[in-house]
Amino acid sequence: MSNRINALVLCGYGLNCDIETAHALELAGAKARRVHINSVIDGSVDLADFQLMVFVGGFSWGDDHGAGVIQAVRMKKNAGEKLLKFVQDGNLVLGICNGFQTLVNLGLLPGFDGDYGGRSVALTFNDCGNFRDDWVHLQVNGSAPCVFTKGLAHMELPVRHGEGKFITDEGVLNRLIRENQVVCRYAGPDGAPADGRFPDNPNGSIHDIAGICDPTGRIFGLMPHPEAFNHPTNYPDWPRRKAFDSRSGGEAKPPPTMGIRLFQQAINYFM
Amino acid sequence: MAHRLEITLKPELLDAEGEGVCKKAAAYFSLPLEGVRTVQVLTIDAELSAAQLEIVRTEIFTNPVTQISSYEPLPIDFDWCVWVGYRPGVRDNPGSTAVEAIQDVLEIRLPRDADVYTSRRYCLAGSRMTRADAELIARELLSNDIIQQVRVFSRSEWDPKTGIGIIIPRVRLDHTPTVTTLPIASDEALKRISDERNLALNVNDMPVIRNYFMDPSVQADRRQMGLSDPTDVELEYISQARSDHCNHNTFQGLFRYTDLDTGQNEVVDNLFDTFIKQPTLTLKEKKDWVVSVLWDNAGVGRFDDDHYYVITGETHNSPSNMEAYGGAITGIVGVYRDPLGTGLGSRLVMGSYGFCVGPRDYDGDLKPRLHPRRLLDGIIEGVRDGGNKSGIPTPFGQVIFDDGYLGKCLVYVTAVGIMPAQAAGAPAELKTTSSGDRVIMCGGRVGKDGIHGVTASSETFSEHTPAGHVQIGDPYTQKKMHDFLLEARDAGLIQFITDNGGGGLSSSVGESARYSGGCEVWLDQVPLKYSGLDQWEIWVSESQERMTVAVKADDVDRFMALSRKHAVESTIIGAYTDTGKLHLTYDGKTCAYINMDFLQSGFPQWEFDAEWRPPAHRGLHEPVLSEPADYSRLLCDLLSRPNIASKEWIVRQYDHEVQGGSVVKSLVGAERDMNSDGTVLRPVLTSNRGLVFAQAMLPMYSAIDAWHMTTCTIDEALRRMLALGADPDHIGGVDNFCWPSIQYDPQKNPDGKFKAAQLVRSCRALAETCLAYGIPLLSGKDSMYVDGHLAGRYGETHKVSALESLQFSTIGVIPDVETAVTMDVKMPGDLVYVLGETRDELGASEYYQCFGYTGANVPKVRHERFMKTYRALHRAIARGLIASAHGIYRGGLGVHLAMIAMGGNHGLSVDIARVFSDDPLRTDHLLFSETPGRFLVSLAPENARAFESLFEPGQFACIGEVTDTAVLNVCRGSNSFISVPVSDLKSAWKMPFGGLI
Repeated sequence: MSNRINALVLCGYGLNCDIETAHALELAGAKARRVHINSVIDGSVDLADFQLMVFVGGFSWGDDHGAGVIQAVRMKKNAGEKLLKFVQDGNLVLGICNGFQTLVNLGLLPGFDGDYGGRSVALTFNDCGNFRDDWVHLQVNGSAPCVFTKGLAHMELPVRHGEGKFITDEGVLNRLIRENQVVCRYAGPDGAPADGRFPDNPNGSIHDIAGICDPTGRIFGLMPHPEAFNHPTNYPDWPRRKAFDSRSGGEAKPPPTMGIRLFQQAINYFM
Repeated sequence: MAHRLEITLKPELLDAEGEGVCKKAAAYFSLPLEGVRTVQVLTIDAELSAAQLEIVRTEIFTNPVTQISSYEPLPIDFDWCVWVGYRPGVRDNPGSTAVEAIQDVLEIRLPRDADVYTSRRYCLAGSRMTRADAELIARELLSNDIIQQVRVFSRSEWDPKTGIGIIIPRVRLDHTPTVTTLPIASDEALKRISDERNLALNVNDMPVIRNYFMDPSVQADRRQMGLSDPTDVELEYISQARSDHCNHNTFQGLFRYTDLDTGQNEVVDNLFDTFIKQPTLTLKEKKDWVVSVLWDNAGVGRFDDDHYYVITGETHNSPSNMEAYGGAITGIVGVYRDPLGTGLGSRLVMGSYGFCVGPRDYDGDLKPRLHPRRLLDGIIEGVRDGGNKSGIPTPFGQVIFDDGYLGKCLVYVTAVGIMPAQAAGAPAELKTTSSGDRVIMCGGRVGKDGIHGVTASSETFSEHTPAGHVQIGDPYTQKKMHDFLLEARDAGLIQFITDNGGGGLSSSVGESARYSGGCEVWLDQVPLKYSGLDQWEIWVSESQERMTVAVKADDVDRFMALSRKHAVESTIIGAYTDTGKLHLTYDGKTCAYINMDFLQSGFPQWEFDAEWRPPAHRGLHEPVLSEPADYSRLLCDLLSRPNIASKEWIVRQYDHEVQGGSVVKSLVGAERDMNSDGTVLRPVLTSNRGLVFAQAMLPMYSAIDAWHMTTCTIDEALRRMLALGADPDHIGGVDNFCWPSIQYDPQKNPDGKFKAAQLVRSCRALAETCLAYGIPLLSGKDSMYVDGHLAGRYGETHKVSALESLQFSTIGVIPDVETAVTMDVKMPGDLVYVLGETRDELGASEYYQCFGYTGANVPKVRHERFMKTYRALHRAIARGLIASAHGIYRGGLGVHLAMIAMGGNHGLSVDIARVFSDDPLRTDHLLFSETPGRFLVSLAPENARAFESLFEPGQFACIGEVTDTAVLNVCRGSNSFISVPVSDLKSAWKMPFGGLI
């Protein structure tokens, strides 16, 4: 495996999902390295050594002035050109939760017409008025160009956020829908979009949007946490499922979890 | 020149915070509030150009998609406007990150006296609202006058040009740091000093202190350093070190215990040594997985060959009672520093909570500082932000409501960490300081925080008086420090690490210097939040988010470079020595010079009289209560009682699966809404090995006997582990005592001797139970004085004491997490068993409380018999024979049958005539007795024979089966007396708090 994909996982300044994100990437087959934001900025770690960069979940700068805002400002100010080059070189960028919030504040999403600098969508306070930890169903848009979700149709993943309500104006929304940049939507157990219903849609996102990609599909941001579904026992129903399986005679080794499969798609992209 | 930036959501967007205020105003006070828009205010006290101001406004503080902003007051319509800002010196976390962001985006360094202050403006719409209504909302929903200042504007009072004005809550002390010498010619003089300075020195300590300073050899040493009489730095240090908080004088005390029934007397010399230390040492001999106990900030157990887990628990009661949010966040963030400061440092992997408060709907005459509803809201939010923003999951917690906690609430916080067995080739559980090592303070800066909370709160507030005695934890600063210190540990740069909590530097440096045998600390080097602190204040300040680290001189440069990379402030403030002296200087001049061994020698033990009156002597007896007829309704009503009811609204606010190792979550079952018995997680992601964790609190039983409160609490915490599949041979415990004052006083504390006896009994029961169950106490803490004086209706005050309370935490290891089981029944047709026997033990039960009775037959633990059942259950789970397991806890069999049915969303058909009991019991007694030692288990019929063969007769009874129809049917022989759809059970269970989010 000498030609494993190198994945950079950002850490520092209050980010907190770096360890499990790196673990999930390793399980998926990548070589993952946790890198402090300041090591990207000061150049002691070179983005050119990586093919995938993950903006992870957490509370960067305490999220005190809007989730992901200060991280975006700091990255843009001090490493903006490196980031753009990384994207233009055909690499992948994934933003999860706080990372998604950062990508939209950086302007890497939605990235219409190659504009990776303007802010046109936002993730703001949940309608329920509180931080919420719950598992959600996601309907995946099979027509989206997103390289991370190729072949995935329906996912269950946990959300854990206070500011995940996706909003934008009607023009941007229509374009996102039209160009299939809406990658995943909050859904009910049947897989149909939640249509705003709480708690299937946990935050009041318009159009039940949980994740979007840029037009190339190489930049993807989502609120739910794929890295938190890295093991079968992360799934809330695993004890029940295990009981059913053992009665029906089947106790086959479970396939990779939905979270790992998402990371695998990113790695397959380079294969 | 200061600038005031106002930011608000675009008018077409929902203001969720404002909506929350509206809902509470309606629900709590029936106020006609029609709408609320919130405005964030940033007061930027810095010289910035118009261009710079515009850059920070647009690039940082305004989201173009969602927000609008202006340096002029935003023209938002209102009937009343309430402005809320911090008092000077209160930790303003968003203010600090705003400074960081401004510096970053403008590429400048702001001068030291520049700062950003955040505040909020609430625009209230409600044409029928009066000023009194607006002030009520301001006081009861939006602010706490201990930390915040408030202004209320009517529409006519509002000047749209000036708005709230420019309010800068900067601390200005205008004080030159001064060391004061305090002559102590007599004990009376020392007493006077103690009273004046609020040192709270114990009178029995005073001669010891005076003798020390009078000792000719001590005086000779001091003269060489230019000192004569003790300095304020020295007396403050001694006061801190001798406080009950730091020194645990109560638990180290001498107790004269008398049983007033038998007349028997005995003396217990040191509760801690006798009932905690000795049993733990005995068990450590037998349990090779116990790695490190009784000396460090937290206890250490073996997780696997390469990793240890670390655990401790704390309380933060008094501060939370004053300022719920600040107290609770400071508590949880503070307890997280204990594992971080254990051994060479451990990574935090989970936290948990236990909240004890007055009834949420209390409407009696007493006036607690904060109404229990508001108190609980604040505590929940404090622990939420402290845990979530630290990136540490909070997968377990409990809440208890009781009138006794109106006087003072309890906020238990527990922390678990994981460390490698070796750090850079050295055993990670060990640490020491050596002469020559540098004393380095990392993390936050020092202010007047936490200094003499009591005196500070009685001072009159001026505009610039720091209100920092009530603290607000800063998880962001601490998370950066946590990441930095673990990297420093792995690089082998740390010799010793400990946290700054109670007593601040005086405690962390004073205690770490015992290893090397001395230290020199340069107080002028300690970084301060604002100038003007006296030397003694720097030494004892309890400012948060600080660790003290010993670093070899040769490693300092690497340590500092790493600190800079992580944007953490670290400062060399002294050096460890082997001089035998604690030596403090300021600008090169000695201000304290004390023998290191002074605090360990010659101080007298505290003494207590303890008088036990058995329940019958106190008039307790079983109630005269006939059997009820309507069991279905009774069961539903029990499920709706606050201490039983669903508290999902709290659980979902807590991130319980960050770090990716969640196995059994807080909420389980078919609808993912039932309380799990405990939690299971994989702290090492590459392994299938897991940690199992649970806690129990049963303070109600203290109304009868704290002995049985203690044994039942430990038994429940143990059963919660076993139900999940934990190995009974590897269970560690953590005891957290919260007790009302036990010092007898005929007027102020007339039942002090009884409460002291309850404490002695509880500690003895703790030792006995832990030895019997083989649970070493890995860590523990005590918090005394859980009493409050509350104003009543007529201007009188009432002393309200809490129930004698113990939270017991259990932790253990499960070799393969995939063998864990959950509480919910899984499949129709599965058999349902009750393990253990049921006795007539309803004293202080939920059932009796429901009718206002206490009763007398308190539940009792029968260790030996129970342990046989526990081992058999463990074997059954390990062999995969079981589909679900759940302990029978508060509310008894009836309530917990409902729980497992709701868990599976299946029905049950059970016959309680088959439940094993010593005597024939009445149906209500069978259903609602809280006899410990019992479980409800379900399993596939084909496993029945193998399962039953593991147990002795009388240990189990098959009482029925899981049914497809989701109805709970309970009969006794031919008499069917409960038939309730599971959905009705759930509605009842969710009724009290189901509407909260």
